Amino acid sequence: MPLSTTFDYEAALESCAEGNRQALMQLYEQESPRLLTVVMRILKNRQLSEDVVHDAFIKIWKHSNTYHKDLGSARGWVYTITRNLALNALKYSHRQVLAEPDFLLDLCDNNVLASAEQPDDLGELANDPLAQASLQTCLEYLEPERKLCVLHAYVDGYTQQEIAKLLDKPLGTVKSWIKRSLSALKECLQ
Amino acid sequence: MNKTSHHSSDKDENLSGQYVLGTLKPEERQAFEKRLVNSTELQRSVNQWQAHFLSITDNLTPLAVPQPLSARIERSLDELQKQPTKVAPKATNPLLSFWQNLALWRGVSITCLMLAVVLGFQLQHNATRINEPTYIAVLVKPEDKTPGWVIQTSHSNQIQLVPLGAVEIPKGKALQFWTKADGWDAPISLGLVKKGETLNLDINQLPPLTENQLFELTIESETGSPTGKPTGEITSIGRGIAI
Repeated sequence: MPLSTTFDYEAALESCAEGNRQALMQLYEQESPRLLTVVMRILKNRQLSEDVVHDAFIKIWKHSNTYHKDLGSARGWVYTITRNLALNALKYSHRQVLAEPDFLLDLCDNNVLASAEQPDDLGELANDPLAQASLQTCLEYLEPERKLCVLHAYVDGYTQQEIAKLLDKPLGTVKSWIKRSLSALKECLQ
Repeated sequence: MNKTSHHSSDKDENLSGQYVLGTLKPEERQAFEKRLVNSTELQRSVNQWQAHFLSITDNLTPLAVPQPLSARIERSLDELQKQPTKVAPKATNPLLSFWQNLALWRGVSITCLMLAVVLGFQLQHNATRINEPTYIAVLVKPEDKTPGWVIQTSHSNQIQLVPLGAVEIPKGKALQFWTKADGWDAPISLGLVKKGETLNLDINQLPPLTENQLFELTIESETGSPTGKPTGEITSIGRGIAI
């Protein structure tokens, strides 16, 4: 699909705030396949996921006037709204909790990224390509089990209880791994 | 920067990260969201974490989004625009805002289109038409706004759905006719439409028709939507006006 890599998310939100519906539909064209993918990964239910993406775009439209440049990444803002709706919708969905460690680890593997068929436009999609690339690098410094905790939480939307059960670790261990991993990532990203 | 404030900002950075991961306990999450509303700094930190983590999910293979989803979003925006306080442009001059009111002008042009279609339609059918219509709606294709159907009612207590041209219905599928007025929870089905036929319904069996009531046709399985709600692609959509 012809996704533009130079899409201006900030301008799109500002335009929405001015009541320009076309800007919202352009954002939809640009981002809906990826948003649906992210939501589907969490909810594992097609109908519910489509409902969430629908609700997300309505929420983006209604709240676009609360976004301004000082808040940083506009694309991040869009995903925060969408992921929060997906996480809330988990209450209505009984999904399977799966391990899939290889899949998750491959997902943030620099080498996989470099050799993948989609060449370098993935990094450019984000507002700050340098910062994006370095998250992948920084994740490499985490021990695989800790990295999995972070990935299960972000990519799958699993709760810490679910992760603890999945990895057969005490809940307290998972909690502190996640906190420490975030601190380590932050340190590394600076 | 002194030690305590540095410490608290590290803690907030970590909380923001946990918020983005979704690993805060419900009460922690609520408390964090309360602070988030009023803090540019926290919001920036959340967006930053989100942008970082996004680089992982960007590696997932994107899914194809079904066409009806964008039509659904457009429909919901239409509903919202009827309560125009939410995203109204911040114009201070009322005269200016009148001229800049896109919804208004869009409404005016749609009404003009509807009248043109209906008048043309009536000219065509003048010989057979005795009763003047009292309520009309023109249903258009969501993609290019081509008029496809006219709904009209007259004093004869009938509501008619009339095709304006050839109707394509995929094999093994049917077109289902729906309506929803403001304040209804869900659309109700007005029945299945057959190829090339005018659908006549007894108006007394329906709740009273209201201004701006939504009508649409969706592609459903031959026996109609299995859920009792529209599930398939919207082929035509429009709103009614009393005349």
